Amino acid sequence: MKDQWTDRLSEYLDGELGAAERAALEGHLATCGECGATLAELRRVVARAGALDDRPPTADLWPAIAEHIGVVSLPARRARRRIVFTVPQLAAASVALALVSSATAWLLIRAGARAPVAEAPTPAPSAPATPATAAMYPDKRYAAQVADLERALERGRGQLDTTTVRVIEKNLRIINRAIREAQSALAADPANSYLNLHLAQEMRRKLELLRQAAALAGARS
Amino acid sequence: MATLHRDPDEAARRSGRGGRGGRGGDAETADAALAAAGDGRAFERLYRAHVARIHSLVRRMMGPDHADDVTQDVFVRAWNKLATFRAEAAFGTWLHRLAVNVILARRTTLGTERGRYDDSQDALEVVPSRPGAGVELSLDFEQAMGRLPDGARQVFVLHDIEGYRHEEIADMLGIVEGTSKSQLHHARMALRKHLER
Repeated sequence: MKDQWTDRLSEYLDGELGAAERAALEGHLATCGECGATLAELRRVVARAGALDDRPPTADLWPAIAEHIGVVSLPARRARRRIVFTVPQLAAASVALALVSSATAWLLIRAGARAPVAEAPTPAPSAPATPATAAMYPDKRYAAQVADLERALERGRGQLDTTTVRVIEKNLRIINRAIREAQSALAADPANSYLNLHLAQEMRRKLELLRQAAALAGARS
Repeated sequence: MATLHRDPDEAARRSGRGGRGGRGGDAETADAALAAAGDGRAFERLYRAHVARIHSLVRRMMGPDHADDVTQDVFVRAWNKLATFRAEAAFGTWLHRLAVNVILARRTTLGTERGRYDDSQDALEVVPSRPGAGVELSLDFEQAMGRLPDGARQVFVLHDIEGYRHEEIADMLGIVEGTSKSQLHHARMALRKHLER
């Protein structure tokens, strides 16, 4: 059964009735068991809606999204990593790794022997430890590499079509902005390991983009 | 397009649903910045953190047939619009608002707009309960929601699940507030029959 108040119960529940209507409805509820029961059920519906769990899609949508936006999906990366080596290949890799390690150690020892004691860096006693950071990045060498690549790109620029140039320049602007923002944030919080890592990633990204662009320009010239 | 004035995450937290998916906070803001600079892995982390919430929103608003397709569209648009994310709100809130806008735009394309918002009692008859079972549970609550008429379902989802006000819902859906209120009431009345006892 339904009376004139039944259709107002949701508004009452949501606190949307004016004072007079609210008082009148409360007076009615005191005598109408059916409206009281309906109101209790509506309360349970609202509570049930608030308790619904979010469920993911049954199929992973990421591969299709990744393809659409032009990035490599995690399953694809995993598939790429699934590389099988033969025993002779692994043995050869071990030998190569040993040689590289020895050479690196020799170079480090030699460089250490040459360095004057007075120039040895003195770590700040209370400096927090950070992971491989952008601050540790070899700035001069990096700047030189970037400058070389920019010159190479400039030389071959005429060989690239305008769309390619526009895409490269747009990406460089984005990366440069990210670098500037990271540097600015690091100035305020130099020990922030995430920012250091982020800056290093952006610097590497810039170098990689310039390498690819310069190679592309060189290949077409 | 409607401008949303409320943080649905906040509404969800208050309603006890736990709010957005995802890790929230600085980690997501950082991932959004990385993704805006072209980092696909950062965007994949954001996708995995939020896909359940976005997919559920789409499924409830539009039904299961379009859920995968529209969810993909939401994330593709999010990728394209990442440069406009300013971290003034949580990434989840930004994404949620984008999703609602995509859903409403798609709803218009699919022809499910105003015509379905007749202010009638239809919702009460459309969701069947088990014959002879009285108020016994005959359908899963979410399935019962899916059987509501479009108008009642969308108002119910936006108000009772997502936490929007009638004023905002009316603005988003292009209806008057009174229609939003009556659709909500009809939806709730219909869903009473599908409460677990």
